[in-house]
Amino acid sequence: MGAGGMLSETEGGSVTGDVAVRYAARLENGVKTYGEGDTAIHALNGATAEFERGRFTAIMGPSGSGKSTLLHCIAGLDTLTSGIAYIGEIDLSTLKDRDLTLLRRERIGFIFQSYNLIPSLSAEENILLPLSIGGKQPDEDWYGTILDTVGLRPRLTHRPSELSGGEQQRVAAARALVSQPEIIFADEPSGNLDSKASAELLGFMRHAVDEFGQTIVMVTHDPGTAAYADRIIFLEDGRIVDEMYDPTADSVLDRLKSLGG
Amino acid sequence: MLAISLKSLLAHKVRFLLTAVAIVLGVSLVAGTFIFTDTIDAQFDDLFEDIYSGIDVSVRADVGDFRAETEPFPGDVLDIVLAVEGVEIAEGGVTSLATGVLDKEGDPIGGRGPPTLGFSWAEVPSLTPMRIKEGAGRAPTGSQDIVLDANTVANAGFALGDTVTVVGLSGPEQFELVGIASFGDQDSLLGATIVLFDLEKARELFGYGDEYTGISVQAEAGVTAEELTERISLVLPAGVEAVTGETERNEQVAEINEALSFLSIGLLSFAGVSVFVGAFIIQNTFRIVVAQRIRELALLRAIGATGRQIRSMVIIEALVVGIVGSVLGVGFGFAMAFAIRGMMNAAGMGIPLGALVLLPRAVIAAMLVGMILTLLSSLLPARQASRISPVAAMREEAARTPRRSLHTRALAGSVITGLGVLLIGLGLFVDIGRSIAYVGAGAAIAFMGISVLAPLAASPLADFIGWPLPRLFGISGQLARENTKRQPRRTASTASALMVGVALVVFFAVFGSSTKASINETIFELFPADLTFSSTSQTDPELRAPISPAFAERLGVYDELSVVSAMQFGRVVIEGETQIIGAFDPETIEQVIVLDAIGDAVAAVAARDSVIVSASFLEESGWAVGDTVTAEFAHTGEVALTIVGTYEHGDFGKLFLSSDTYLANFRYMGDSFVFVNAADGVSVLAAQDAISPTVETFGNIKAQTKSEIVEDAEGQIDQALALFTGLLLFAVMIAVLGITNTLTLSIYERTREIGLLRAVGMVRRQVRRMIRWEAVIIATFGAMLGVGIGIILGWAVVRALADEGFGAFRVPVGQVILALVLAAFSGVLAAVWPARKASRMNILDAISNE
Repeated sequence: MGAGGMLSETEGGSVTGDVAVRYAARLENGVKTYGEGDTAIHALNGATAEFERGRFTAIMGPSGSGKSTLLHCIAGLDTLTSGIAYIGEIDLSTLKDRDLTLLRRERIGFIFQSYNLIPSLSAEENILLPLSIGGKQPDEDWYGTILDTVGLRPRLTHRPSELSGGEQQRVAAARALVSQPEIIFADEPSGNLDSKASAELLGFMRHAVDEFGQTIVMVTHDPGTAAYADRIIFLEDGRIVDEMYDPTADSVLDRLKSLGG
Repeated sequence: MLAISLKSLLAHKVRFLLTAVAIVLGVSLVAGTFIFTDTIDAQFDDLFEDIYSGIDVSVRADVGDFRAETEPFPGDVLDIVLAVEGVEIAEGGVTSLATGVLDKEGDPIGGRGPPTLGFSWAEVPSLTPMRIKEGAGRAPTGSQDIVLDANTVANAGFALGDTVTVVGLSGPEQFELVGIASFGDQDSLLGATIVLFDLEKARELFGYGDEYTGISVQAEAGVTAEELTERISLVLPAGVEAVTGETERNEQVAEINEALSFLSIGLLSFAGVSVFVGAFIIQNTFRIVVAQRIRELALLRAIGATGRQIRSMVIIEALVVGIVGSVLGVGFGFAMAFAIRGMMNAAGMGIPLGALVLLPRAVIAAMLVGMILTLLSSLLPARQASRISPVAAMREEAARTPRRSLHTRALAGSVITGLGVLLIGLGLFVDIGRSIAYVGAGAAIAFMGISVLAPLAASPLADFIGWPLPRLFGISGQLARENTKRQPRRTASTASALMVGVALVVFFAVFGSSTKASINETIFELFPADLTFSSTSQTDPELRAPISPAFAERLGVYDELSVVSAMQFGRVVIEGETQIIGAFDPETIEQVIVLDAIGDAVAAVAARDSVIVSASFLEESGWAVGDTVTAEFAHTGEVALTIVGTYEHGDFGKLFLSSDTYLANFRYMGDSFVFVNAADGVSVLAAQDAISPTVETFGNIKAQTKSEIVEDAEGQIDQALALFTGLLLFAVMIAVLGITNTLTLSIYERTREIGLLRAVGMVRRQVRRMIRWEAVIIATFGAMLGVGIGIILGWAVVRALADEGFGAFRVPVGQVILALVLAAFSGVLAAVWPARKASRMNILDAISNE
């Protein structure tokens, strides 16, 4: 559809093409302003970031630093005031609502903090939601692999209200994976979970990156959670101020302290 | 608390608006009915005040309980009146209800609508409401002159100088239109056709001799109307009375008011249905709103508000919405009054136009209805709100209010429904009087009971109605179905409102088609007559206008006919009650209609001063064959009638005399029906052809075969059905608005969910489709319940009326299916706005963590 068409129109071998092969998503000079004049708030203030394919990236920063806004804008949930967000080679600002929606459906997965399942659908129906919205059947092998990884087989017929918080988030994670998206965005995915459920979920996400080559971008404020990522970018006042590779909880904590100081 | 209530209302304008609209619609039909009737009331008061102001005393025949306007008294009474001291001027005139006017095509004017009134022209302007319009000819002076009211002239396309055919007692006659008259300054008197002749011609045409039906008197200066009335009364002969002009005016106004009050009761009944449906919507809205505000209310509780304060807060909010809604409802009532007037005039009622009148009672009634409606509707939700525990504020998930257990619900619902059914049964099958009130109240209670039970059926029925949706529309269809099952009470409550409207529409349809089927059977069974003649004019709602006596006489000469038998009707007072009594020729009547007389009752009634009574009326009155009853006739006074027999088929009438007895006691104005049979070997068609020249000269007579009678009756029923359905559509509209209401509130609740669906790839069209099908399921659910109840109610009523000739029970399958389909489609309309709203919902709201 719209998204696929654009891929073929880009010049193969050009800089854009190469960049698109390497990065699943990019943000160039992203600015997001709420309000006008003196009361204007710049949630993003010229942020530039790239997210490599097959990598697990965490976005950190204090409250109000713009990390959720950044996530929403790259994921096509919100629009930038200026600057360009790309998913693969596609400039999101050129898409109308319908194409943007189809792009999210086919190429992006989401895991949100909470309330992120449809209460009237069973666990299985929730997992398959992006496919059924598009009227598609799941790839049986892939679906089986996901179910085994998240360990939800016995709970498939249950409604979300009958599942624990950890199980609900694993359903959400399975849903994000089922359509084999180019990139998964997660916003504080373990924010409402206890430490055990949290470790399970993050372990599963790590597994998806390592074993399936999935690309994941996650917003978090917790150093322990961020330590699951390959790379962390730090945001402050709507700008990328720092980054860090192969973090551990301690190194993240140190970096945060130095930033905060 | 008041301050918090007001702020809360202002903060949630949509919620406020949705509730208010339901109230506005509920109230406006009530207000509209009052405004409409008050306006007519005031117009007629003014009219009669003006036009009769010159008449101080009216002299008329004293005929007890009868209407005296067409009963004559001797002409010399005028001389007696003129001789009374204090009489300034007096003039006599005659009135008739037995005249028909033909239009240019030779068809009767008026038809089944308002009556034709014939008057003699009064020479003294102060003694008559009739005026020749400016520049529109002159008063009638010769035997060829006729004057018509301006409305009739305009509608029939007459012009001054045109030839106008009038059918009087002696058959059709031609006149020249010499003047166009108004009634006071009104071109029309409730749409009646008014014909005026000079006195001499009027007497001849109406069948009076040297007689008057009324004398109008003006008093000399200084003599009061009361004084003069007394003086005149003293000198009047027996059988003639004098009343003040004011008395007569009040009687006429009262008569019109009575006719209007019938209309306003009818309209108010339908307004009541709308209010009832509105109550469902309003209560449902309040309940959803309370559920959505649990956190806010719990927070208030947590910081120290008592349950009672919460309750009064909700009630105060309801009252504020009620006041605003009622005020707007009164305003909107003007539009309703216009609409009602338009509808009535479209039906040929000739209701005068002019500014609408708003009397305090309309405002008070509408405000009371609106306030009570809102107040009652808010009580349960308010109680629910007061029971919210303060802890609910802290919980992540909005706490569910405790629900009644299914058993309790099933029990309560069954008890309430049972009570309603009991009342309906009492009204229908037990003779306790005021049966309509019982049936109405019973139906209302049964509706409430069923709405209590409905949530139990919501899930299975939603599954049933929605089964093809997932296959047809994938996930949107599945979600639509699942969403209706999530809050069974909300779905059921919303559907119940539509159920009421649809149930009544279906009830009328079933009742109507059963009536048609019964009429069909009855007519073919009861009418051996090949052709039935009746007048096309209608002067009296209870009595058919008479056909000129000359008609039956002229038919008598045709060899193609074997039998010509006439039937007359009139009013009589027996044991204090006015009854319609019929009369026929005992020798021929049984060849043309079936009375199922017991023994030789028909032959026996040939004896003078005897009467036969239908079996059911005989039983009802506690009489027996052989008894003598005293009947009071307008013309001859009290006459002792002997009951000489009885008969089974009461469809034509419950009392019959012989035509001879009739002629002796009534002023014979003509026949109500003339029945004929074709002679042996002559087809009905041939006979009809042969007599058609005679029928045509009379103009206002229609000949009907049996099937035409059936068609005619069916046409009348269809017309009534269309009117009822039209009035019920308003209640249906309110119910559809209720679906919009519920959906709008529901999508607010589901903001997160809808946002999530959008985030993971649902396009706007799919969101709209999801909401739309949810509405269709709710609407179909309500319509199915309604269809079921309507059919059952129809069946019960038809069964109850079995004694009155309702042999058939018919369900008009086509109409019922149409009602279902339209109701389902109304769901699509109801969903337009909420679906649009949902599809444009901000995705970020769904996923932000706040």
